[in-house]
Amino acid sequence: MNWRQIFLVLRREYITRVRSKGFIWATILVPLGFAAFIGVMVFIQVWESDETFEIGVKDETGQIFQSLYDINPDRYLDQMDLSLDSLRSMVQTDDLTGYIIISEENVSAGQNPELIYSGSGGMEFLMSVESDLREVIREEKLRRADVSDDVKQIYDERISLNSRRLTREGLEEDDDTVFLSFVGFLLGIVIFISIFSYGGYVTRGVIEEKTNRIVEVIASSVRPIELLIGKMAGVGALAITQFGIWIITFTGLSAIAGPIALSLMESSSQMTGDMAAVEAELPAFLDLPSLPPSLIIYFILFFILGYLLYSSLFAAIGSAADSETDTQQLMMPVALPIFISYFIMFHTWRSPDSILSVVSSIIPFFSPILMVTRIAITEVPFWQIATAIILMIITFAGTMWVSSKIYKVGILSYGSTASYKDLLRWIKQS
Amino acid sequence: MHTIQVEHLSKSFGKTIAVNDVSFNVERGKIFGLLGPNGAGKTTTIRMINYIMPQDQGKIIINGIPVSPKTQKMIGYMPEERGLYKKMKVGEQLIYLAQLKGMTTADARTKIKYWLKRFGAEDWHGKVVGELSKGMSQKIQFISTIVHDPDIYIFDEPFSGLDPINSELLKEIIIELRKEGKTILFSTHRMEQVEQMCDDICLFNNGKVVLTGNLRNVKKDFGKNTVLLEFQGDDSFLDTFENVRINNRSTNFAEIRILGDLNHQDILHTAMKHAEVHKFQLVEPSLNEIFISTVGEDNIKSQEALLS
Repeated sequence: MNWRQIFLVLRREYITRVRSKGFIWATILVPLGFAAFIGVMVFIQVWESDETFEIGVKDETGQIFQSLYDINPDRYLDQMDLSLDSLRSMVQTDDLTGYIIISEENVSAGQNPELIYSGSGGMEFLMSVESDLREVIREEKLRRADVSDDVKQIYDERISLNSRRLTREGLEEDDDTVFLSFVGFLLGIVIFISIFSYGGYVTRGVIEEKTNRIVEVIASSVRPIELLIGKMAGVGALAITQFGIWIITFTGLSAIAGPIALSLMESSSQMTGDMAAVEAELPAFLDLPSLPPSLIIYFILFFILGYLLYSSLFAAIGSAADSETDTQQLMMPVALPIFISYFIMFHTWRSPDSILSVVSSIIPFFSPILMVTRIAITEVPFWQIATAIILMIITFAGTMWVSSKIYKVGILSYGSTASYKDLLRWIKQS
Repeated sequence: MHTIQVEHLSKSFGKTIAVNDVSFNVERGKIFGLLGPNGAGKTTTIRMINYIMPQDQGKIIINGIPVSPKTQKMIGYMPEERGLYKKMKVGEQLIYLAQLKGMTTADARTKIKYWLKRFGAEDWHGKVVGELSKGMSQKIQFISTIVHDPDIYIFDEPFSGLDPINSELLKEIIIELRKEGKTILFSTHRMEQVEQMCDDICLFNNGKVVLTGNLRNVKKDFGKNTVLLEFQGDDSFLDTFENVRINNRSTNFAEIRILGDLNHQDILHTAMKHAEVHKFQLVEPSLNEIFISTVGEDNIKSQEALLS
């Protein structure tokens, strides 16, 4: 192994990519895209609540409608005077989304009320109608039972849970589980996407050298293993650069956001002369819980290990394929564990300490996504993290060994894409 | 000491034996031709000499040391499958390739400048390779092969795909390099190219060496028993000769190799009876003919490659 050669390869891979338009645009556009994505999500939320579905209510008890109207005056229309037939035809012509007939039995006999509707609105709509009805019928029942105000108030109470974490050191901390769950989910997705995109860089780089036919010239100066390591390290350095730029920009922006907000508030408060209010207001204004530094370190560590593990395989795929379109069939077995861990993440995100979450976060091919998600959300015992790291390093040594054998033969095989049988032969051969 | 010493070299891919117990020596300051039809094992042998592929058996010694990353730096190699990074600039690319061969950046710069100037390409330095014409990138490819000023040059099928101008240019370079005392090994399936340039040859067929030695001596051994005949008229008389092999036959030309004891004057007499003879010449057999008579017509792996 000659480190000078590896360094030369690494430097070329890094410099040609870091200068490319694709990289510069991606570095600028990805955060903007992310912001746009969040914007769209918020927009959807707002848009959704704007939508109204009108329901005609034929209230035979005469007691219920008013309460429904109080909950949502846009949704519930009093249609006491209309006949059943005209209600049906209004639903058919889309003048109403649906109608409900509330009879005495619904209140006194506990019979479920029935919504007849056109089928639009979806689950969320049905659930909110259900909870509205549950509430008003209960209210009516309580009224009829003539219970005291105390009891009514008990029914109105909404008890929620406040939680605080007690750490091993005996300190009680504010619990940010909800926030951190989202962070864990997000970090999992970031690793998922970046393994694919940086792995894709490696695959394409290998194929490019093959289809350009430069690889044999390079192989007459550099050992295949040196070329492979240099390539993976070059793209890895690229990944770290890109993440570095994003992290610095992000922390920089949030660092200057505080003082800017403060100075804006100061200038406006000087007129009112209410400095104390500003001081008190500001922390709340910018009070997003901060990420624990250990999480950032683990994120970077697991990203690097995951990148190494998968990019070694992605390089082997590139060397075995004859053109970029041919990579699809070979990509499947490598992409599969990434997708599986991505799907498990939807479970892990909700219950990070379940047996499924714990076991799969230690499986090397799943660790990069699942362990990071768990570390963000829950208190992962150190032995689990250590086991995952050690297993990943061992597995990486294995994938690197296999890949270097495939790569060595693959880069010089032109003309056809290798089958799995060929790959097996290549591994045995050398 | 031989510059390149190949001893009992073998290499198989699965059940196919690509190179089978091959031995030959390349002398310092000579042009050595590795000949044979496509698929005879030339490229595999060359890749092993370049330490791109490991051999199964045998030894390859270059300037006294077994092949290794160290011997790679003594060699300038232009593979049959040639190429460059399309998105890189000419200058950067040449510097990169020279650095991989162990040159310092400063040395590489001076040399690249010299060669670009030599090829009338001073202003290509900042051009992206993908924008160059095919002929232009072939020149860059030559430079990348020779820029680190190695002792040994290996060209695999160097003339395939070259335009006529670059073909001539490459011939000039090869002859110039030999004058400087460099050693050149090239492979080809086009025999006529070898006749003009090579000092020594090695004939390959089916992974084996069938003949090796000095080109002049090889030819002398086969004797002056080939007739070149140029004529006008009906050529059916050619079919009446027995124990001959006719190569390069066309409507008014034939290269006739006498295999038995037929007298060449008899050929002349027969020809004069049937046609108007414009030229009659007694020569040594062509390499193509030597190859065919050495391995036997039926044993040639890829006949059409030879006759192309």
